Amino acid sequence: MIHVEHLSLSFAEDESKNILHDVSFDLDDGEMMMLLGPSGCGKSTLTYCLNGIYPRELDGQMKGTVTVLGKVVQDQKPGELSKHIGVVFQDPESQFCMLTVEDEIAFGLENLQIPRAHMEGKIEEVLQLVHLSDYKEATISSLSGGQKQKVALACVLALEPDILVLDEPTANLDPLATKEFINTIQWLQQQKQIGIIVIEHQLEGWASFIDRAHLLSKDGHTIFDGSLSKAIQLYGYKLQEQGISIPTVTQYALSAAKHQKRTYKRIPLTTEQFVSSVSYIDASIFQRKLKKGREQEQTILSASNLQFHKQGKSIIHDVDLTLKKQEFVAIVGANGSGKTTLSRLLAGIDSPTVGEITLHQRPLATWKEKQLRQEIGYVFQNPEHQFITDCVYDEIAYSLRIRCFQENDIQAQVNRILSYCKLEGLQHRHPYTLSQGQKRRLSVATMIVDDQQLLFLDEPTFGQDAASTRKIMDLLQERYENGTTVVMITHDMDLVDQYADRVIVVQSGGIVADESPIALWERPYLEQWFIEYPTRIQLQQKMEESYDDYATQST
Amino acid sequence: MMTMLLNQLNPSIKALTVIVMIFALTLVFDPFTPLVYCLFTIAITFMFGKVDGKKYFLYFLPFFLIAIGMLWTTLVFADAPKNAANTVQIFLWEFPKEDVVVAFSLALRMLAFASLSLLFIFTTNMVDFILSLMQQCKLPPKIAYGVLAGYRFLPLMKEELGQIRAAHQVRGVNRATNIKESIQQYKRFVIPLLAGAIRKAERTAVAMESKGFTGDKHRTFYRPFTLSWKDWAFFLFMFLILFITIFASIQLEYFQWYKGQL
Repeated sequence: MIHVEHLSLSFAEDESKNILHDVSFDLDDGEMMMLLGPSGCGKSTLTYCLNGIYPRELDGQMKGTVTVLGKVVQDQKPGELSKHIGVVFQDPESQFCMLTVEDEIAFGLENLQIPRAHMEGKIEEVLQLVHLSDYKEATISSLSGGQKQKVALACVLALEPDILVLDEPTANLDPLATKEFINTIQWLQQQKQIGIIVIEHQLEGWASFIDRAHLLSKDGHTIFDGSLSKAIQLYGYKLQEQGISIPTVTQYALSAAKHQKRTYKRIPLTTEQFVSSVSYIDASIFQRKLKKGREQEQTILSASNLQFHKQGKSIIHDVDLTLKKQEFVAIVGANGSGKTTLSRLLAGIDSPTVGEITLHQRPLATWKEKQLRQEIGYVFQNPEHQFITDCVYDEIAYSLRIRCFQENDIQAQVNRILSYCKLEGLQHRHPYTLSQGQKRRLSVATMIVDDQQLLFLDEPTFGQDAASTRKIMDLLQERYENGTTVVMITHDMDLVDQYADRVIVVQSGGIVADESPIALWERPYLEQWFIEYPTRIQLQQKMEESYDDYATQST
Repeated sequence: MMTMLLNQLNPSIKALTVIVMIFALTLVFDPFTPLVYCLFTIAITFMFGKVDGKKYFLYFLPFFLIAIGMLWTTLVFADAPKNAANTVQIFLWEFPKEDVVVAFSLALRMLAFASLSLLFIFTTNMVDFILSLMQQCKLPPKIAYGVLAGYRFLPLMKEELGQIRAAHQVRGVNRATNIKESIQQYKRFVIPLLAGAIRKAERTAVAMESKGFTGDKHRTFYRPFTLSWKDWAFFLFMFLILFITIFASIQLEYFQWYKGQL
């Protein structure tokens, strides 16, 4: 159905550097394939080649051929391919041009000149497919990220494509929305048997029903094409180094195998497979990475009876909280529960409507902005928003210069931070030209250069690939071990499990749990707070279940 | 429903009507015609349109204040009158009558334009207007859908600006205290905002193209806009009212053509 032969591509800026390098593959009718590769390896470029935007819009060179249903893509008229290939992109905010769901779906139908009489039925049909029938007349901006991605999916389904290309469709979604989106895709495939190409840098969720994998290396070479479990068997941890995250269960299985010096016939990719194929697992695998520092009693920040209203709505209510020296705190909860607002109040960015926050026993409101920022750092979700200057060096030096330090001291400090955040050699680059992971580390760097003792981070690992997540978490871990209090908003329960020594669960603007992760995992029904158990606990639960089943069967 | 009539009219015809009426009114230069026509327009807006009265008042207020300003400056800075003896007293001051007539003509004319524009703005959905422009006035789809996509971005950009402001505050950027600093600060906000907007725009363009959008004029419409007798009736009705007003104005001997006064 799709036939890609010796595809190479380079941009005009740097003709010598190929983004894609001699990539070839075939996709049969109704086949599903994962196209895996680290961020920046040319995965999205390949999407553009498949739906005909390249070479038409390409400022550069493209070699090789792409054929879709026997038609050479390069020869097609604009818009012709959209009947065959439907693409869902990564960013839920920028895929739409109309205001309501029905208008957006109709937009595609209008483009294909479908008669109006057929539109209504078509729109209802595809909304039913993605389980959004009730949202036909809703405005798109009122939907959640997960719902927006489903609308984007509905829009392309309405055009009845033969192949769906999903370009990191869940990268901007929280874990629950991700799960739901993947389930929708799986259900859809069972209903319609369409060909699907999933472009991803992580496997979690997809691995349970897609087995074919096409792996791209950092420089755009094909390194593997075949069964996913075989790829993992062959490359194992090397995939992780390449920036492709493998499911946490698989990581456990791999390290268990290494530990026991055994290999798997079939490597488990889901919890179910894990439980059925792994009979014994060493307890050491499940150990948390966190090294607990000395118990510290010194209170840094405390908040009492916090309330925050915005446009008449109560966003935060009745929050009492103290942060001590050297804590690693994770704030978790559903999207829209008030996590970010709470952190912004605590960091002194917004002021509470009611209640008081004290930093070192002094009310936050009495602190001068300049002094406050030497105590509290805040890393925003989008690192670009925080960049002020034109090069990495100046960016880090900025707050030191505000404090009128000697240029010699500044240089020493900046160099120290550069190597600390693994940004050496990049000091003359413009912040905007860095990779996603580097941008994120730079934004952390600017927030620790003053040796701030309290650091807030809003989803620091969001949209990062495995290698980059690892680097950021190691960085934070080191800060923590040196005595900094780290407060991190996250959706990733595995990170919470591994790194945090305290979890705060936020639900509709209030704190519903504030305890150690271990105590939290003991609680039943975390689903009520829209959070999941970490993989480690899920596995333990499943294994106990199957052990219980086994025990009841044998008696 | 009677009160929704204006909202249901074809947006292009409504726009055409408003533009034609504004041009017609520029030909007249007396205080009576625009005043009466303005009152008629406001009455029609509220009788036949679904309009939020409070919001209408808020939008009308700035026009009103400008009109008063205009009235005053025209009075004070008027040319030397031909007939200086004929004066009118306003509050404590005395002005030549012909100057007063000119000033009121000008200010009321502006209010009439404002009421016509507000009639359109308050009873028209912007999206419908653009769709109708494409269907009735052959606006190229490339421009029409470009504008629609941009319209969607505005609230997103406002939100982003708020985030950038907070992010810079955390970096220890001082709040601007003088004009030079304000300009610098503005520049710092604009770069991330533009970078984000350009990226978003590019992504949206790619997404639109992936849905088969080519800018081709041959397309079907989910929301077709047609012309009915009601639309033309509205056009004629507005004209008729203008004629009646002008007729009354002639009868009452207020009427004057615009002959390059001022």
